[in-house]
Amino acid sequence: MTEFSPGLEGVVAAETAVSEVDGANGRLIYRGGYLIEDVAAVASYEEIVHLLLQGDLPNSRQLDALRRQMAEARTLNDAGLGAIMALDPDTDPMDTLRTVVSAQGATRSITKPTLDEAIALTSIFPTIVAAAHRRRLGKEIVEPRPDLDHAANLLWMMEGTEPPAERASWVGHYLVLLADHGLNASTFAARVIASTGSDLTSSVVGAIGALKGAAHGGATLAARSMLDKIGSADNAEKWLKDAHARHERFAGFGHRVYRTYDPRAKSLREMAKTAAPQLHKTAARTEELALQILHEAHPERPNATNVDFWASVVLTGAGIPKEMFTCIFATSRVAGWTAHVLESLSDLRIIRPASRWVGPEGGKQALPLAGR
Amino acid sequence: MTGAYVPGLEGIIAAQTAISMVDGENGRLVYRGYVIADLAEDMSFEEVAHLLWYGRLPTRAELDGLTLELAASRALTPAAAATLNALPTDTDPMDVLRSVVSVQGVEHRLEKPTIPLAVHAAASFPTILANFHRRQAGLDPVAPRADLGHAANYLYMLNARESSPEIVRALNTYLVLLADHGMNASTFTARVIASTDSDLASCLVGAIGALKGPAHGGAPSAVMDQLEMIGTAANAERWMREARTQKVRFMGFGHRIYRTYDPRARILKAMCERLNPQFYDLASKVEETALAILHEEHPERPQATNVEFYSAGVLQAIGLPKEYFPPTFAVSRAAGWTAHVLEQSANNRLIRPQSEYIGPEPRKPAPLAERG
Repeated sequence: MTEFSPGLEGVVAAETAVSEVDGANGRLIYRGGYLIEDVAAVASYEEIVHLLLQGDLPNSRQLDALRRQMAEARTLNDAGLGAIMALDPDTDPMDTLRTVVSAQGATRSITKPTLDEAIALTSIFPTIVAAAHRRRLGKEIVEPRPDLDHAANLLWMMEGTEPPAERASWVGHYLVLLADHGLNASTFAARVIASTGSDLTSSVVGAIGALKGAAHGGATLAARSMLDKIGSADNAEKWLKDAHARHERFAGFGHRVYRTYDPRAKSLREMAKTAAPQLHKTAARTEELALQILHEAHPERPNATNVDFWASVVLTGAGIPKEMFTCIFATSRVAGWTAHVLESLSDLRIIRPASRWVGPEGGKQALPLAGR
Repeated sequence: MTGAYVPGLEGIIAAQTAISMVDGENGRLVYRGYVIADLAEDMSFEEVAHLLWYGRLPTRAELDGLTLELAASRALTPAAAATLNALPTDTDPMDVLRSVVSVQGVEHRLEKPTIPLAVHAAASFPTILANFHRRQAGLDPVAPRADLGHAANYLYMLNARESSPEIVRALNTYLVLLADHGMNASTFTARVIASTDSDLASCLVGAIGALKGPAHGGAPSAVMDQLEMIGTAANAERWMREARTQKVRFMGFGHRIYRTYDPRARILKAMCERLNPQFYDLASKVEETALAILHEEHPERPQATNVEFYSAGVLQAIGLPKEYFPPTFAVSRAAGWTAHVLEQSANNRLIRPQSEYIGPEPRKPAPLAERG
């Protein structure tokens, strides 16, 4: 038996070729050995789906086939549609996503996860997310458009009008950057579930549940909420100093793995200049001061800006309402979740760690009810 | 510091807990200081749920309070009932449970897990299963009865009539025995999800997904099907030796932790002898033969009968169809899952292990037009 490592920090729980977070050098490597900044420069989200699920970037013929397959898998079945209509329109959209994915994937008997199923799941997320959004607004659900790519169709279904190419490209770029990230908590949850021989829907539903947490997917919304409170670049100094004095955590800073600037944050920061010039100003000033304050308080810590901080700015510029941020994160990450599950099948072994007993020794006498 | 890859996290301590201890060496299961054998015969499921949630057995007044609270939380929300009715009637009941627990727990903002939320969630499991079971038979749901305990009411809602005290007692003992079991895969899943500061329903939905896997919650029909194929006690030896030459696995044997007889299996076995003599005659002979054959093959391995083997006989005696074995396991384990989530969130740290990258070293991606 080994030592207890809280949060399993530093414990290697899987071997993977899907992605690698090289925290020491600030590098994120996607399957096939591509650095995130290199692959994001040449690939659409659909190409990344192919890369993560099938091991390499597609050629044009493979990409066309995948696009068609994805476009055809954008429609909810009766159970999925029934679930979405059953929920109150003001339900937390992550709860809607969790429930509808579960209902959509309900089957008569258990099946082994497959590539086609992974593609279908990835394809259906925008439909559910957009429907949740429309219902929150009290509007009709918009049918998917097979002629639009994944990102543009997402905006189309959310807004009911065809989005300008630039906005679709910001969303697409975001989806590429967030599609996988080593053994993060939601991906790990998916792999633990898969390790019991369960089905792909169960893994993905569990991963959605984990991503919902404020310490994981919820961090993008927290970053935006902080920027909303700060309001303007001029107010940043006063707000941050006050917050620091109140021992409030700055949303969007710090990561367990990166010891240098997160490469995704770098890419999003650059995009934010065009996508959301006004908010970029506030965010840039906030970042500068926050890093300064954090460095003074904890010079020994790396204190780098994380992806959530700049993602919140780019998504804002792309026209995504902040209540939908975590859902859009899930819409990207589902490719990584399913890729990890498929990978894990080749050497499936139940993930069942140990626990350390800190309760009373066994053998306590159970008094009958009357004697308690 | 990063260590070596540990497949299945075997032997890695992932959490400290005071809820239950599996003492595999000595074949003991301890709930908060009480060995399982001391609880199984005399305690109601409600008393054990109180023990797991609050850390101590209830007084009469506390038990009355909890019993009332559970009984008052049994009804499904309109959204949950509508989702249940949207699922095809041939859906796997585990998928029904996963989807409807997800709806029953929807929120309008992220809430921290609490004991009242745990009570609310655990109370709904039997209602979901009973309602769906009735729907499959083309029957209307039966409203829960507040004057019946957890076990008695589950049976009442399934059958629209009260069961005999002996059958109620058998189900109650089963629910007590299965309520918690250290850091098993579904409980660990629930804790991973809780560690992101997600909500209780997300944790439960993930745990249900993990329990669905045949390596954990069991292939419901597997034990029964194998016994049916063997047919008679007299046929056991011949059938099983023959099966072994074709590498057929014996269902209901082996566990990663117990090195001696699982204490739950011992109690369930005695119950089978009383309640299901026909099953017992065949099963005990099959067990004896299986253990003998497995010992001949691997004398170094502890080949203990696991809890699934005699659970099948008890649940059959209660009158449950075999597809309802795994979700009835979940009815019981809901108490343990929720207790672990509360314990995790009281002293939380994000569970985020590392992975070891086994993909290629970084290289440049080719643009689409240049890919072969």
